Amino acid sequence: MSTMIEYIPDWSTWGMAGIALLVPILGHLLYQKVYHFIGTGTHLHDAAPTTPSEPSSEAGNTFSGNYDKDLCYIQDKLGANSDVCFREFTLHQLGVRGTLLYVDGMQNDRLLQLKIMTFLMYEATAEKLASPSTDEAGLPFLQLQEASNLDGFNHAILFGHFGLLIEGMPIGLLIEQPDARNRPILEPLSEALLRGPRVGFTEILSENTSMLRRQGMSDQLEITSYRVGTRMQRDLVLAYMKDLVNPDLLKEVQTRIERMDMDFFAESGYVEQLIEDNYLSPFQQVQNTERPDRVINALMEGRVAILLDGTPFALIVPATFSMLLQSPEDYYERWLPSSLLRIMRFGAAFLALMAPALYISFISFHPGLIPTELAISIIETRQGVPFPSLIEVLILEVAIEILREAGIRLPKPIGPAMGIVGGLIIGDAAVQAGIVSPFLVIVVAVTAISSFSIPTYSAGITLRMLRFIGMVFAAVLGIFGTILFFLLLCSHLSKLKSFGVPYLTPITPFRMRDWKDLFFRAPLSLMKRRPAMMKTQQNKRKS
Amino acid sequence: MFTRTDDKITTSQAVVFLTNTVLGAGILTMPRSITKAMQTPDAWIAILLGGLLIMPVILIMVKLCQQFPGQTIFQFSGRIIGHIPAKLVCLLLIFYFLVIGGFEIRVLAEVTLFFLLESTPMWAIVLPFIWAGTYLVSGGINAIARVYQVVFPITIFVLLLSYGVSLRLFDINHLRPVLGEGFLPIFAGLKSSILIYAGCEVVLTIVAFMQHPGQAVKAMLGGIAIPFGLYLLTAIVVIGGLSIDTVITSTWPTLDLIRSFEVTGFFVERLEFPLMVIWLMQMFCNFCSFFYQASLGISQLFKLSIQPVIFALVPVIFLSAMAAKSIQDIFAVGDAIGMMSIGLFLLVTVPLLLIWLLRKKGDQIHG
Repeated sequence: MSTMIEYIPDWSTWGMAGIALLVPILGHLLYQKVYHFIGTGTHLHDAAPTTPSEPSSEAGNTFSGNYDKDLCYIQDKLGANSDVCFREFTLHQLGVRGTLLYVDGMQNDRLLQLKIMTFLMYEATAEKLASPSTDEAGLPFLQLQEASNLDGFNHAILFGHFGLLIEGMPIGLLIEQPDARNRPILEPLSEALLRGPRVGFTEILSENTSMLRRQGMSDQLEITSYRVGTRMQRDLVLAYMKDLVNPDLLKEVQTRIERMDMDFFAESGYVEQLIEDNYLSPFQQVQNTERPDRVINALMEGRVAILLDGTPFALIVPATFSMLLQSPEDYYERWLPSSLLRIMRFGAAFLALMAPALYISFISFHPGLIPTELAISIIETRQGVPFPSLIEVLILEVAIEILREAGIRLPKPIGPAMGIVGGLIIGDAAVQAGIVSPFLVIVVAVTAISSFSIPTYSAGITLRMLRFIGMVFAAVLGIFGTILFFLLLCSHLSKLKSFGVPYLTPITPFRMRDWKDLFFRAPLSLMKRRPAMMKTQQNKRKS
Repeated sequence: MFTRTDDKITTSQAVVFLTNTVLGAGILTMPRSITKAMQTPDAWIAILLGGLLIMPVILIMVKLCQQFPGQTIFQFSGRIIGHIPAKLVCLLLIFYFLVIGGFEIRVLAEVTLFFLLESTPMWAIVLPFIWAGTYLVSGGINAIARVYQVVFPITIFVLLLSYGVSLRLFDINHLRPVLGEGFLPIFAGLKSSILIYAGCEVVLTIVAFMQHPGQAVKAMLGGIAIPFGLYLLTAIVVIGGLSIDTVITSTWPTLDLIRSFEVTGFFVERLEFPLMVIWLMQMFCNFCSFFYQASLGISQLFKLSIQPVIFALVPVIFLSAMAAKSIQDIFAVGDAIGMMSIGLFLLVTVPLLLIWLLRKKGDQIHG
């Protein structure tokens, strides 16, 4: 009995047991609180603020048929805008008045405008106007819609349509789609390739969808459209292969799109953040890309793409971890070099995440674990450094991060100059001054270069952020802390899902079939089936 | 269905789950404990025999579980022997899981303190480790199995690599004479060689989580065959490399073997570091298994939701890890766990199966 009592731990151990209990509970509560706090912003209503865009017949003022009254109403509503032009004219064939309404800068084809005016003023006849959209006697415009109510008519004009109002007609006509100036199609800036198509998406949605269509001829590529935003509406489309995509996945994506509640969507990042599974995770669960070929490849695997008007970045769902380290080039080059490059990228990602943490744990805690001569030479170079290794690494890492951030802001001609000043001169001077050790400069440089080699920019940011957490773990518990950090990361990743697909597929849950496109990129002749994780309707790639 | 809502694991996950649960502290200590009991270099024969003995044990457990598809022992034991006795038996099992979980952490802390973080307070190692485990265990069996699937290949790779490189020290004469003193020492070592499989009781719950319970026999036997093979390899390599005299006097013989040579021209000259890394990860897996089993047991037995149970067990595990006072205590606990493992099998699994068979027979006769 006395030996039993002897083994009952003392008070401090009991106290620590209490702490052991409190920390996870508090952590859990905090997590739940934050999660719900953020979550309330996402799913405020069960009602759907986003609607599939169909020709809307919303209630509003209908055209009275009285030309002066209608024009007065429109002028009342739109007249304050200096960029809305009212061009009044007389239709000479009929002898009635008409008004052409448009927003300055939205229609750019001067020749077309001239022709429209000529037609309206001198050629338009009564029977042509009587039934504008019929085949035989209709008006010779490619795009022609009849607006039945005044408010819809106003909306359309502000969005860039030509509006036409003619005396004696109880409707407004909308002719010619908006055709504002657009930038030329350029090579995607954030995802450059050596080999592969050089087109990138632009800001115009119709151009982007047409780029997708132009990738190949298929009647199965379906593009459905939504209006998003409660205050300023924007077009958003879902693109998918009708005969491939899993219907449950498609339904899930549609539900999440319809649940989004935001007054304006400035960029597809808004959509990404509102539909992702876990908004507290450091990892992105939606992939963004500017490359049409990447989108179409994803669609052929049974994924769904989301394109928003006004941004060149399309979203691909669901995303898995391995996608972040894959580049379209892997498939365009032959399989051996591609596999090699891909393995190298995985290694680079590991270095980008872990290298500073490993440096700290080796230097501060376990110099005995690295080869003796190496350890001696590193310690010799660190002789004059007055800081512990964590501070030393932080100084240089933060400097590099600032340099990188500054490099993005600077105009192109100055960028390289700053790289030289920042990277070379400061690095060298810091070593000379004895603030950091030369070996550390190597480590930090390798880390930075490794993180540049990650094909997805946003994945690179995630790793940069996590790197600092890893450094703290290493500074507290050495290699034990680093392993703990790795295990926590693994635990988090294995819990994470993107639209129902486990984030670490196909590593786990283990899907042998998908391993041929993971670390290795198997020869194309072996890629006979689509990824098992997508559960597509037809999984054969070849007939 | 595109999104899976059921919390089931695939067959390969079940294999890895059992492997990662069993493969743990034994890798570092097993050559010493067996050789100490035997005093001959025939540890590998003892392990071979122990493995052959454990196979039918696993088989019996699986067969028992397959009588109640989708139910863990905590749920079906009540249907066999009535609620009160079942509760007692299951509490015994839960206590066992808690002790073994604490034991694994303590061993891990001892090794870490000795090799990596000297003069660090014990709680600083134990606490973060338990918290990390809590995070994983809260994710449910699927998250746990997935982490195992990530860790497992790394473990196998590093383990085989270090053993392969250590073959340069291997001397077949260290393993001779085979059966020099007859069969008697083998039986002495048999006890220790069965102890290394302690923890295989998780079979009683994993089978219930399998997506294809029909493949349970194959999966569980496969899951125990992997650690069996690795233990056999460890014993042969370590004793062949170090000779039994060194093995008996060393606390962590496997680490000593890997520390005793240098691979020149390699970035990491000594493979002790990667071995430590994978061993720590392996211990994490081990610990999470037992932690999860214990919380699952309590939550199913008393019909509580599992999350609060997990939190409540954190201090219990911590105390169970801190209770031992010295390294001798720890090894005594290790031996006790082995005995409990055998005892549990004899007191729980076999009677349960027998009673079930009798009752089934009875039902058939009485119609």
